[in-house]
Amino acid sequence: MIGPNVTNSKAVEESRLPRRDWFLLPLLSLLTICCLIAGSELTARGLFEWRPGVQNCVVLNDPLGQHGIPNSVCREKEPETSTVEYRFNSCGHRTGMECGPKPDGSYRIVLTGSSLAMGLRVTREETIAALLPTELSLRTGRKIELYNTAVAVMEGGTPRSVALRFDDVLAAKPDMVLWILGPWDIEHVSTLYVEQKRSSAARPVSLVQKVMQYRDQVVSLSPHAINEAIIDVFHRSRTALLLQHYMYENQSLYVKHFLIGSDESQGFLKAEPSAALKSKMQQFDRYTAEIAGRTKAAGVPLVAVFLPNRAQAAMISRGEWPDDYDPFELDLALRDIVTRHGGVYVDILPDFRNVPNPEVHYFPVDGHPNASGHAVISEMLARALTNGAIPELRAASAPPAESEKGN
Amino acid sequence: MDAASFQFVLFGLCAAIVSNMRSSPAWRSVVLFLTSLVFLELLSHNPIVLLPLAGFLLLGYAGLILIRRGWLRSAAGSILAVILVYVWLKKYSFLPDETFLRVPYFTLGLSYIFFRVLQLLIRAGDGSEKRQVGFGAYLLYTLNFTTLVSGPIQRYDEFARDQFSAEPIALGPRVIGLQLERIVRGLFKVNVVAMLLQAVHEDAVAQMSQPLPLTHKLTAAFTLAVAYPFFLYSNFSGYIDIVIALARLMRVRLPENFDRPFSASSFLDFWNRWHITLSTWLKNYVYNPLLLALTRRTSSKALTPFFGVLSFFVTFFLVGIWHGRTSEFAFFGVLQGGGVAINKLWQIGMARVLGRNGCKALAKNPIYIAFGRGLTFSWFAFSLIWFWAGWKQIDKVFSSIRAVQWLGVWLAIWLCATVVLAFWEWLREGLLSIGAAERPLLTNRYVRVVYASALGLVVFVMTVLLNQPAPDIVYKAF
Repeated sequence: MIGPNVTNSKAVEESRLPRRDWFLLPLLSLLTICCLIAGSELTARGLFEWRPGVQNCVVLNDPLGQHGIPNSVCREKEPETSTVEYRFNSCGHRTGMECGPKPDGSYRIVLTGSSLAMGLRVTREETIAALLPTELSLRTGRKIELYNTAVAVMEGGTPRSVALRFDDVLAAKPDMVLWILGPWDIEHVSTLYVEQKRSSAARPVSLVQKVMQYRDQVVSLSPHAINEAIIDVFHRSRTALLLQHYMYENQSLYVKHFLIGSDESQGFLKAEPSAALKSKMQQFDRYTAEIAGRTKAAGVPLVAVFLPNRAQAAMISRGEWPDDYDPFELDLALRDIVTRHGGVYVDILPDFRNVPNPEVHYFPVDGHPNASGHAVISEMLARALTNGAIPELRAASAPPAESEKGN
Repeated sequence: MDAASFQFVLFGLCAAIVSNMRSSPAWRSVVLFLTSLVFLELLSHNPIVLLPLAGFLLLGYAGLILIRRGWLRSAAGSILAVILVYVWLKKYSFLPDETFLRVPYFTLGLSYIFFRVLQLLIRAGDGSEKRQVGFGAYLLYTLNFTTLVSGPIQRYDEFARDQFSAEPIALGPRVIGLQLERIVRGLFKVNVVAMLLQAVHEDAVAQMSQPLPLTHKLTAAFTLAVAYPFFLYSNFSGYIDIVIALARLMRVRLPENFDRPFSASSFLDFWNRWHITLSTWLKNYVYNPLLLALTRRTSSKALTPFFGVLSFFVTFFLVGIWHGRTSEFAFFGVLQGGGVAINKLWQIGMARVLGRNGCKALAKNPIYIAFGRGLTFSWFAFSLIWFWAGWKQIDKVFSSIRAVQWLGVWLAIWLCATVVLAFWEWLREGLLSIGAAERPLLTNRYVRVVYASALGLVVFVMTVLLNQPAPDIVYKAF
């Protein structure tokens, strides 16, 4: 890059660099990068320990949907969470009671759904399933218990598997069925976990094997794909997780990042749903029709509620979003489907307007609600269920004032 | 192509490589001209939208020719015409809406071109620019892609000295290494620091209108005020770092635009360190002529210092007006002008009370300097509210807590800025004192390579992780 006419003495002086520096400087640069990568990864692994475990207590590949292994206990430590115990009763449900008939005089809610309903990443005592009956009992003055049939670890608990395992729900003799839905349930409306996925996902892979896998991928791919592979490797690192964890604590950064994601993950927030989402809604309609038909036949009310994901909750709380987005759009569509099939739809999304910084109630990278999130949602749900939507659960006294919401 | 993106840097590096294939001024000028045209095309997407800009450039050059040939008695007419057309193209709100062009057109960089054109006209008018500026050189100077989007505002003589020299300035491995380091630093400032600070600022603004406890709101008020100056500095100076380095690789030295502005101990000093090329331009072509004109009109010596105050106010009020066409920017200008005017009055007052020697002694007092630095930062942070927010949002932000609480927030900002900036100055001095006095350890090329590699890695990691474009260069909008 040095021009041919650069002949003045200053230029000569400028162009001189000790010969050793031509090797030393790039080596130093490489060494710095390697040290930083290794150092940050080791630090991240120390800070964000990961010990998977819950899948050992769940039959993942049952063609009739996932269910817990009866009387099993597993512990799991996800990078963002503390160690969580998953204890399943003799019927394979994560609920704080044995399966069997409800006590006399009590009102039994049977909960179903995916990981949100199961309380994944949170100790059972802090889940909606544990908090909601206490809230409802306080508000109604009735003895209310909640039996949780939701089991969802890997792609489990989708509307399709809820419909497939609905016998479990009815076997618990509910007075009311509460179906908790989230954006993930619509995105994966008819997904069923299959053995192949389990074998690749759950089998431990050594670091050497991982490196070999990537080497094979890299060798066989184009430069663009190599770039993608490097990015993919980075995304799987604990450093990436650590950085994401802290950066996603910032609301605007997280929401912006979420909204530039794939259509599959953020398409449900669009004001105008895509053809793929419309098709999924049609499938949801079919499963809802099936579930609602069975609850109707059993003479039990079906109550469905939609819980927002982290980005959606943040957008609602902030009250602003890009023009082509509408965080309420999916909620309205679900309400239409559920009520059309005779179910009761409980709408708690607008309540998030009164929750400042709702993203703190979710694990930043994992995306599931944390303990405080379960508490906030339980309170919202209790308020919504006792405001007359379910006559049996009408509040005994006046509901708490609006100002108490969300704090 | 974003102004401080990897694509822009790659584009600039390619241009630099091609430009350095031959050292003849003609070759380097052709390369610069073609890359500038390609850059304009990449930004505008449609050549038709460039027509008003082309018209503006032609008007400026026509004015230049008229002055050169002596067909105009003074440069005032052409300067006025250029100012009027600029104001019209920028759609300043005091002009009737019906007069504006209805078709969409390209104004990116117009404000910076405006300064370059005005400078040529003024210098041609007063005879200080002896050289003939050919049309090619004029286009090269005004459309130079390294200074097009957000400056720095380079003088023509400085540009011509490097661009048209038969023996271009040296470019050895050391210089290349330093420029690459500067590019990495610029990318880090824009893509990491500015991006994070913008997110922090946006969150704080949103929190002001949320039902949060008072302590949270006070923290948010503090954060929104403090984060923005640092964001703006990272955003703008990061971009300037990139373009200065790219231009240097093309063997053109661009003027520096920043000199550690938050180290300034007074608002007058601040404007010697912040957007230096803009303030210097305005001092040369507004402040000095205005002060001269005012002092010529009166023989009273007692009034002379106050003419300085008035000239400062007018000059820095124009800084605000230049930034935008809305009343918010006019108020921003009042705050800038007010800041420098009060600062000047304070200096006059202190000189009268303490005498010249007393003033000098006070100016060297580290505590006085630290508090002055804190106050300068606080005032700038306060004035910037009219820079980033509209009246509606300003009302929302200010009404979210009581006036007395805001007062407490600004007091806290002043005190914190005093302590933190003093600590930073002390730390910086300490770090730079490690090693030999003439060559501190931190400026050693081995340390610089380590530092640049680390910054580069962070930029890569953040870009991959967030997968979103960095915030736009704020000064691109002006």
